[in-house]
Amino acid sequence: MYKRLADRWRGIALSLLGIVATLWLAATGQLGLYIHPRYFVFTVVAAVLTAVIVIASFAILPSTEDDSEHDHDHEDEHDFLGTDEEAALSHSHKPPALRRAGTVLWSVSTTLIVAGAFVALILLPPQSLSTGDVQASDLNTTTLSSPLSDAGPELAGSDSQSFTVADWAGVLRQGADTQYLAGKTADVIGFVTPDSEDPENVFYIARYVVSCCAVDAQPVGVPVYQPGWQDAYPAESWVQIVGGFDENIASSSTAAIVLVPDSVTMVDEPSEPYLF
Amino acid sequence: MPQLTRSRTSSGIGLGTGLAIVLALLVVRVTAPEGVATALGDTLGDLITLAISVIIESLPFVFLGIVLSIAVQMWLPPDFLVRRLPKSPLFRRAVLSLTGILLPVCECGNVPLARGFISRGLTVADAMTFLLAAPILNPVTIITTYQAFGWNDGILISRILGGFLIANLVGWLFSKAPNPTQLLTRGFARACAIEAANPSTGNRLRRSVVLFAHETSAMLPALFVGSAIAGLIQVGVPRSLLIELGGNPIWSVFVLMLLAFIISICSNVDAFFVLSLGSAFSPGAVVAFLVFGPMIDIKMLAMLRTTFTTKTLAQVTLVVALATMVIGLAVNLLV
Repeated sequence: MYKRLADRWRGIALSLLGIVATLWLAATGQLGLYIHPRYFVFTVVAAVLTAVIVIASFAILPSTEDDSEHDHDHEDEHDFLGTDEEAALSHSHKPPALRRAGTVLWSVSTTLIVAGAFVALILLPPQSLSTGDVQASDLNTTTLSSPLSDAGPELAGSDSQSFTVADWAGVLRQGADTQYLAGKTADVIGFVTPDSEDPENVFYIARYVVSCCAVDAQPVGVPVYQPGWQDAYPAESWVQIVGGFDENIASSSTAAIVLVPDSVTMVDEPSEPYLF
Repeated sequence: MPQLTRSRTSSGIGLGTGLAIVLALLVVRVTAPEGVATALGDTLGDLITLAISVIIESLPFVFLGIVLSIAVQMWLPPDFLVRRLPKSPLFRRAVLSLTGILLPVCECGNVPLARGFISRGLTVADAMTFLLAAPILNPVTIITTYQAFGWNDGILISRILGGFLIANLVGWLFSKAPNPTQLLTRGFARACAIEAANPSTGNRLRRSVVLFAHETSAMLPALFVGSAIAGLIQVGVPRSLLIELGGNPIWSVFVLMLLAFIISICSNVDAFFVLSLGSAFSPGAVVAFLVFGPMIDIKMLAMLRTTFTTKTLAQVTLVVALATMVIGLAVNLLV
């Protein structure tokens, strides 16, 4: 009884959880915590259209409960967890105890998946990736390129005030020297990560860059020289830094050029914590 | 007449129940305590965030694939596809591998569509060829790969040719199976056999909704569990370790294939992602990432398990992995 009910409704239940979560995140401006903005419209339109089918299924499915054997055969199909085996068992001459165990296992796994989806998508508040596990050695391990700036940002003729952490990290990666950076002011927001070589004097202001969804988030950062920074703001906190670039005088740090702050202000985590 | 009234009442109650559940979920979401997240800790919190990101990213594509699958199964004449494809298996598979150009659904959307193809009489080898080729040989993937790499290092050409060749190789290999039905899960094979012997009749709209419920029941648990596993491995395996291994021309190919397998990123945008790893990895490794990822990853395997046996999937994974490694290493040798 439970198996048949779950067979018929678990897809609808999971669809509903996904749709409600998606629309809620979109309505509250938090979809960017999970996916790139280029997918917002497609995701929301698909969720709305599918919601119509899902709601319609509530009207249609109950009246098909006692339908033909044909439909029941479909229900008995399978899934990736091994309902296939369970279905096979139910049609085979296996001992009833084994058959019952298969059904129980299937029922428990289905319940756990739906319950887990409910907790993760509905009950728990949306959250961005944590910043605590980011090590300075993880930063800038990639080329920092993005579809929009695959050659890295150009300083000449650009409004460097609008550069993000990723842009400045790209400029530094290209080997910009102090002469090139002279007179340029950075105004960036990011989270604080200690430098692994000279954590007393240098920290990184970092952000995650996302190209598709949070699963491909890559941390990028710009080294900041400020002796004793730990006394003012803890690691992982979000800060806004305004300053210029200079040679790194911290001998044990390998960063050649560092951001020397004119001001460091603690700020809340931005509503869009990732850079796209 | 009383039966019609009863049916209308039942539909009305069902509709009301559906809307009430949506409302209840929204109320729970709005009133849920915000402080719970901090109690989870960084690792568990990240695991959940990563899994949700894969789910929300993939869900629209899965829905689209299911709707297309329903269109194929319910709204096209039964022999519509089979009649229009070449008779020769080799050419048929070659044409099917280019079908992604007309149906640019992401790889997760292709799984329900391939199920629909099999239900409509295409062979397992045909469906397998489509399944593996379509995520690569579709306009969105080709354009984004071009945007990311242009013609540099032959990455775009290698991806297109590699995808085509591997998909057709796998299709050819599985076309030699003495009993193709044994490649499918018993339940799915049985459902297809019943459908072929005794096609569904009745109101098509109603049957479409029932099929939607059926397909989501098969696909979504796989997607949700696959996403959770992808998140779990992502949290457990530091990417810095993978990148460290990426300097070696041979290891780099293997490492980027492993990364593609773990992160289960959508083929439409994977080029942008791997572009950012371009300086740390060889061109052959990048090609391996771009060819292997759309065909085989954790999320896809979980979803494919709804249709194919574990043994079949192990064989497909092995063939695709070996062929991809050969292509990746060849690119490193030639470029």
